[in-house]
Amino acid sequence: MAIKFERVSFQYRGVDDKGYLALADINLSIAAQGEFITLIGETGSGKSTLAQHMNALLAPTEGRVHIFGVKLTSDKKKNRKQRLNPIRQRVGLVFQFPEYQLFEETVLKDIIFGPKNFGVPHEEALERAKKMIQIVGLDESYLERSPFNLSGGEKKRVSIAGILAMEPEILILDEPTSGLDPMGRNALLKVFYDIHEKLGKTVMIITHDMDTVYEYAKRVLVLREGALVYDGEPPGLFSRKHVEDWNLELPEILRIQRALEERFGIRLEKNPTSRKELIEALGEVVM
Amino acid sequence: MNMIDIENVSFAYSGKVEALKNVSLCVRKGEWVTILGHNGSGKSTLAKLIVGLLKPQTGTIRVDGVELSERTVYDIRKKVGIVFQNPDNQFVGVTVRDDIAFGLENLQIPREEMVERIERYAKRVDMYSYLNKEPQALSGGQKQRVAIAGILAMRTEAIIFDEATSMLDPDGRKRILSYMRKLRDEGVTVVTITHDMREAVQSDRIVVLKDGEVLKADKSENVLKDKETLEQSNLELLLPLEVLHGLEKKKSTNEELKEFLWQLSLNG
Ligand SMILES: Nc1ncnc2c1ncn2[C@@H]1O[C@H](COP(=O)(O)OP(=O)(O)OP(=O)(O)O)[C@@H](O)[C@H]1O
Ligand SMILES: Nc1ncnc2c1ncn2[C@@H]1O[C@H](COP(=O)(O)OP(=O)(O)O)[C@@H](O)[C@H]1O
Ligand SMILES: [Mg+2]
Ligand SMILES: [Mg+2]
Repeated sequence: MAIKFERVSFQYRGVDDKGYLALADINLSIAAQGEFITLIGETGSGKSTLAQHMNALLAPTEGRVHIFGVKLTSDKKKNRKQRLNPIRQRVGLVFQFPEYQLFEETVLKDIIFGPKNFGVPHEEALERAKKMIQIVGLDESYLERSPFNLSGGEKKRVSIAGILAMEPEILILDEPTSGLDPMGRNALLKVFYDIHEKLGKTVMIITHDMDTVYEYAKRVLVLREGALVYDGEPPGLFSRKHVEDWNLELPEILRIQRALEERFGIRLEKNPTSRKELIEALGEVVM
Repeated sequence: MNMIDIENVSFAYSGKVEALKNVSLCVRKGEWVTILGHNGSGKSTLAKLIVGLLKPQTGTIRVDGVELSERTVYDIRKKVGIVFQNPDNQFVGVTVRDDIAFGLENLQIPREEMVERIERYAKRVDMYSYLNKEPQALSGGQKQRVAIAGILAMRTEAIIFDEATSMLDPDGRKRILSYMRKLRDEGVTVVTITHDMREAVQSDRIVVLKDGEVLKADKSENVLKDKETLEQSNLELLLPLEVLHGLEKKKSTNEELKEFLWQLSLNG
């Protein structure tokens, strides 16, 4: 296992020192290759906190996190003696707010910063920047722009390009599609999926979008008030019991499928998981 | 009567990046208008022009009949509240309470009423127990909820929500959506900028921007069904309407099914 959480809890230190328990007794293993995971949970349930443990930006206040053989505990001194830099290259994390990640004068400098920092030669870093800016749906002219003078969605795209350019072994994205236009969202989800499918890498996406979960995820993690309450496959997640108990939103595809079945008795042979599949399946039955 | 009138407005950042080109549009009093468009199409720029944070190079902007200028901008901000796309841009105080208070202080709301409003609106977005926390120590969705509370508490005549629900969980998003409906019912003018078609479907009218120009402005139901226009600006049909579109293309006459799909799209 590339990443392993053993009984991990994390407490933020508040101003008044009361502390806030953001993660509670988490056990979790993530493989170095071949996983496509979505992490969901209400606002404040601990998703971003969990993600930051996965590349050692935060260390547990109780329990142990193992990342590619490095062990992190509440012992800060020991944690500091570990070589954390390689971990941050092997596990790439795209932040929820792109602003926390952008700091250079130009988009180009921002994108090559990561790769160069991890020893990629200048020429190759430039090549990667040119490739990645296009992959995130912006043209090369953006490379010369200041990352601060971009629209919200453009900043988001640049912050994703920067992490992709590091070519991490495991890719973790904190709400990467919030703020993207719908076609951009679809295109980037496909990029993340290709990284998983074609390069065999492990990808984890934090999202509030149940359609993303339903269409792409092979494994879903659900956090509730800091506890991991579900770790399994998407179809099981949307059973009536869980939907009610955890107040989950149904993916659109499932909502429509169920509504048409209830109202018109339309039954589909297979369970479609993408828009296209749903429309095709309905086409055979009703159109 | 129009709350917002925009006439032939053009704007370029540092005179170079043309963000808006000869844009004209209006928002009637008490109307709910959604602005849609691809990333970088000019939505936030438009919002910032309306509240006078940016100055158009050409064209005029009137709010409640008053032309926006250095002299009038202060009064206009008392009429139009804006929730920014990035909630961090809205936070100035040490605590959540300070941040919600900020707008109220500018409106010179008396102390007692201020306390009452802060608590009421913090409860409304479910952030009451966080009033004494630092805004920096909140999760993304919590920051957005605080930013929304700060503007709601000002009870301005018009509110612009610039992607204010983008990081909210489904439940939180639905709560804010139903609150937007309530605002409209109370006669408040609402402008929402969003990529979420489920939000757009609730509004009276939709304006689609593309490359800084108005591609289409029409009653919501006309825009929502217009696959071609939407796709030109990186948008997509709501799924029930995509299915409906397929039915219509095949000249289906099942009116009952079509009506059902339309209803499904309205309450997503
Ligand atoms: N401060 C700035 N300086 C220079 N150019 C800017 C600045 N802010 C935005 N732009 C540019 O102006 C154009 C419109 O940006 P705007 O922020 O209005 O887009 P938007 O429609 O709100 O996009 P998004 O959906 O990504 O939020 C884009 O091309 C963007 O790159
Ligand atoms: N720097 C911080 N200091 C104190 N509390 C924090 C800090 N960051 C987050 N929190 C709190 O921890 C909880 C989990 O936050 P987060 O992991 O960001 O949630 P999510 O990403 O699931 O929305 C929230 O209640 C939040 O208020
Ligand atoms: Mg988060
Ligand atoms: Mg914007």
